Amino acid sequence: MRYFVKRVVHAAVTLVSVTTITFALFRLMPGNPSQAMRAQFEADMEAGGGTADPEVLDAMVEQHIGFNPDQPWYVQYAEYLQDIILYQDFGQSYFYNEPVFDILFTAMPWSIFISVYGLALGYTTNILLGAAMAYKEGSRFDNYATVLATFLNSVPYYVGAILFLAFFGYELGLFPTGGRYNTDLQTGLNVRFMASISYHAVLPVMSSFIVGFGGGALSMRGNSIRILGEDYLRVARLRGISSTRIATRYVARNAILPLYTQMMIGIATVFSSSVLLEFIFTYPGVGWYTYDAVMRRDYPLLMGSFLFFTIVTLIGILIAEFTYGLVDPRIGSGDHSESY
Amino acid sequence: MTRTETELEITHDDRSSHDVILEVRDVDVTFDMERGTSRVLDGVRFDVHRDEMLGIVGESGSGKSMFASALLNAVVDPGQTSGEIIYHPPDGEPVDVLSLSESQLERFRWEEISMVFQGAMSSFNPTMKIREHFEETIRAHGEDIEERMEHGWQLLADLYLDPERVFDSYPHELSGGMKQRTLIALSLILEPKVLVMDEPTAALDLLMQRSIMSLLGNLQEEYDLTIVFITHDLPLVAGLADRLAVMYAFEFVEYGPSEQVIRDAAHPYTRALLKSVPSVDASLEDMHPIEGESPDPVDAPSGCSYHPRCPLATVECTQADPDYHEFSEERGAACFHWEQSGDEIEYALGVDPDEFPESTAAFESEEETVVSLDDVDVHFEQTGLIDELFGKESVVRAVNDVSIELRENEVVALVGESGCGKTTLGKTVIGLQEPTAGSVSYRGQDVWEAKAGSGDYEFDDIRRALQIVHQDPGSSLNSSRTVRASLSAPLKRWRPDLGPSDRETVIYNLLKRVGMKPPEDYAARFPHQLSGGEKQRVVLVRALLMSPDLILADEAVSALDVSLRVEMMDLMLDLQEMFDTSYLFISHDFSNARYLTEKSDGRIGIMYLGNLVEIGPAQEIIHDPKHPYTKVLRWATPPLDPDEAKEANATDPPIREIDIPDPTDPPSGCPFQTRCPDAREVCTREVPELQDTEGAARVACFREDDDHEYWASEPVESDTVSLKTESKAD
Repeated sequence: MRYFVKRVVHAAVTLVSVTTITFALFRLMPGNPSQAMRAQFEADMEAGGGTADPEVLDAMVEQHIGFNPDQPWYVQYAEYLQDIILYQDFGQSYFYNEPVFDILFTAMPWSIFISVYGLALGYTTNILLGAAMAYKEGSRFDNYATVLATFLNSVPYYVGAILFLAFFGYELGLFPTGGRYNTDLQTGLNVRFMASISYHAVLPVMSSFIVGFGGGALSMRGNSIRILGEDYLRVARLRGISSTRIATRYVARNAILPLYTQMMIGIATVFSSSVLLEFIFTYPGVGWYTYDAVMRRDYPLLMGSFLFFTIVTLIGILIAEFTYGLVDPRIGSGDHSESY
Repeated sequence: MTRTETELEITHDDRSSHDVILEVRDVDVTFDMERGTSRVLDGVRFDVHRDEMLGIVGESGSGKSMFASALLNAVVDPGQTSGEIIYHPPDGEPVDVLSLSESQLERFRWEEISMVFQGAMSSFNPTMKIREHFEETIRAHGEDIEERMEHGWQLLADLYLDPERVFDSYPHELSGGMKQRTLIALSLILEPKVLVMDEPTAALDLLMQRSIMSLLGNLQEEYDLTIVFITHDLPLVAGLADRLAVMYAFEFVEYGPSEQVIRDAAHPYTRALLKSVPSVDASLEDMHPIEGESPDPVDAPSGCSYHPRCPLATVECTQADPDYHEFSEERGAACFHWEQSGDEIEYALGVDPDEFPESTAAFESEEETVVSLDDVDVHFEQTGLIDELFGKESVVRAVNDVSIELRENEVVALVGESGCGKTTLGKTVIGLQEPTAGSVSYRGQDVWEAKAGSGDYEFDDIRRALQIVHQDPGSSLNSSRTVRASLSAPLKRWRPDLGPSDRETVIYNLLKRVGMKPPEDYAARFPHQLSGGEKQRVVLVRALLMSPDLILADEAVSALDVSLRVEMMDLMLDLQEMFDTSYLFISHDFSNARYLTEKSDGRIGIMYLGNLVEIGPAQEIIHDPKHPYTKVLRWATPPLDPDEAKEANATDPPIREIDIPDPTDPPSGCPFQTRCPDAREVCTREVPELQDTEGAARVACFREDDDHEYWASEPVESDTVSLKTESKAD
């Protein structure tokens, strides 16, 4: 039990640190965003013909960013944390004039949809390709596949995304070039709407797939080759165990284990890649809003999405740690090292 | 010495007097390598008789594992096997194993011949329960699951395991000995006729080795098995095998009934091997290493492959490969000079136990104490998640209340099974492991106080004075530094007054001293260009360059080939005189400990579950063990003499259980009471302390005290080796 508690506490500490750093960065940014915001509001109001009442301005700024810029930094910090923890209040988007939490909450499922499919697809391909390469170790297929995997691993996903968009979207016109679904359709659980969602998701998922692909295949190949040389594999062959069973139950099962942690940590990479991907495909998910927030200097929204990415990463790592024992029985029985 | 000469030609028909189950005819195994063809089996001809236990003995790299693989036609790629291996089933036509198709082989293996590998530790799929291993094997051969599983159940029970628990375990939940026995059960699940075992006990403790050997004897009788047992450890099989075959340089050099081979070996190599193997009963003066090295499989010597190392070699030996000379139908040796070998290379089996001189000199020596331990405890906390859930606290008591003194120029050997805490105690002695209670002092100065900065000695000086030599020389040398660089490092640190050329002189002299000539050549080499024995010498020299007072030699010879061990130990003793150092020698092997300590009038300490149960002069411990556990270890160390070996095999092991209790949950009272054949009720309550005995040894057993309440206490039920086995980890 202590292990679980320890892990959760670790995660909490990480989260608070990230929040603090976000807060500090926010304050340290050149030109001080809250002052910039204040100046903006002032200009807006004066342009509207009214005179700016400093108190009204302060109140507006506070409402948007979640703390009062005139208070000392530690009070601001405490209030900021308090808002987040007690009320899930991440402040108010300056541009959309909506609570940040609501914006991110509605955008989140779309990002998860794209990322999870990309990740799942990427890792499935990794495992199959890696295993195939290991079985054909040294063959021409292995050589070409290694080159391909290395190549794809080195191509940045956004370059891939732009090429996909240019080729399949604009050149061939096979897939839509933006949006989450056809806005003419009636939203809800109907077939055409769902089909439209999938149709729009193809290119983003494909690009996201590139993020998870490549390196994984090579490490799967390495793991499998190592397992193929293990004594228990030789014994299993001598015992007359069928090669299908050896491939699945012996090689694949044991080779995937190290990949599992890698994949869980990879979740973070996939989500952070969504910033550029969703921008490229004009796909309004969390990533798109983040990019948008950067461009529009919408600091509350930006801070909110930072936190969102942190939380997703931490959850991924926690799930990986807690479930690893189920996947690998050797971990499950606790850390009985034999070093005495 | 004369031998009756009965020249017989080897043909298939000559073997009719014996029921042959496997005929091996001119089998070659070759590997194509960049630098040439590596011939790891060279025209081997041999017959395996039905229902016999055949012991195959050879050093590492002699091709014995290849022979085992070839019997199942399972030589790993890209090895090429040629020749004929004819298998005669009890009923039906003989088959040539080497010409079976892949699918025929799949049925043949495990149903007719099965195999137990060296690495039981890694012979199971780590993510599968034992039960699944059994079931998938049965299913793969299309047999009836229920019937076969029942058989498996019986086999496990025969091997003193708890079948229920074993079936439901993952491999990592079993101890090494349990895994090995489970693997034996798994290999017998389809009732094969032949069981090939390739060093099945090499990774296990002596006691477990012996227990498994005894169990094998039982299994063989019960299931009509033919067992081919391959090992580097001659004494281990000598007493048990019906026939022995000695391998050297990829072929058999001698075979015959084991008693004849041991008593009167004909081949010079067998004789030299018998001389070089440390055992508990052979006389020390007679032990000599075999000069030279085993041949390279790519470039084997022409003629008789042993001639470069053979003292009897003549011109004839360098030109022609000798054929087997057959003394009788079942005895042969491949040597031209079999007549002279008996006179030229003499060896004696066993010494009369009455002959040993009383030697208590070491124990009462006046030498100054170098390191002393006072009531030292080393406890490791190991509270995992599962234990936490069940509120179970698990502390491993690796060392429990041990006091010991090491004097100058003394050799002390610590002997015990793995996990008994001997390495931890060793590390505590040289100040690498901080004790959780008690004190460690170096020449009267507490080591850990010195480290904290309050003491007369600098901690750095203590560190220099206490050195270590590890078991695996390969991993204790930096593979990217030359011997010279590795050896210069300690000199630069501790002898800053020496210039580069002085350092070189020191290093060259030492290398010459340990027999690595020419030193200039060896100093420029990298570790991978050295053999195992040479690496271990470099490590030893490196430790000695610090002019230490004490060297911890942790299983320092265990990784070496049998024939090299005596040589290495001789070198250690030789250097001891030169450098005035003491050794703390850690070993699981009684015979090695005996060789080193008896030769230097040292002491042997016996450890069990973190406790020092007996300590005393080597002679006394070996020839007159007092603690029941020492007696068990003594039983587990087989004597070479065939008569004694037979006697030892006839007696049951003097223990009540084969497996060591869980070290996180040690028994109450005396740690050994759960396995001790003499345990009485009081032993379960009270912990015996080390006490003086009639001899010079000190023993932690109530039986040494004639007035102890032990003698009035009720014995606990005592049947030797009960069916119940202790679990390693729950």
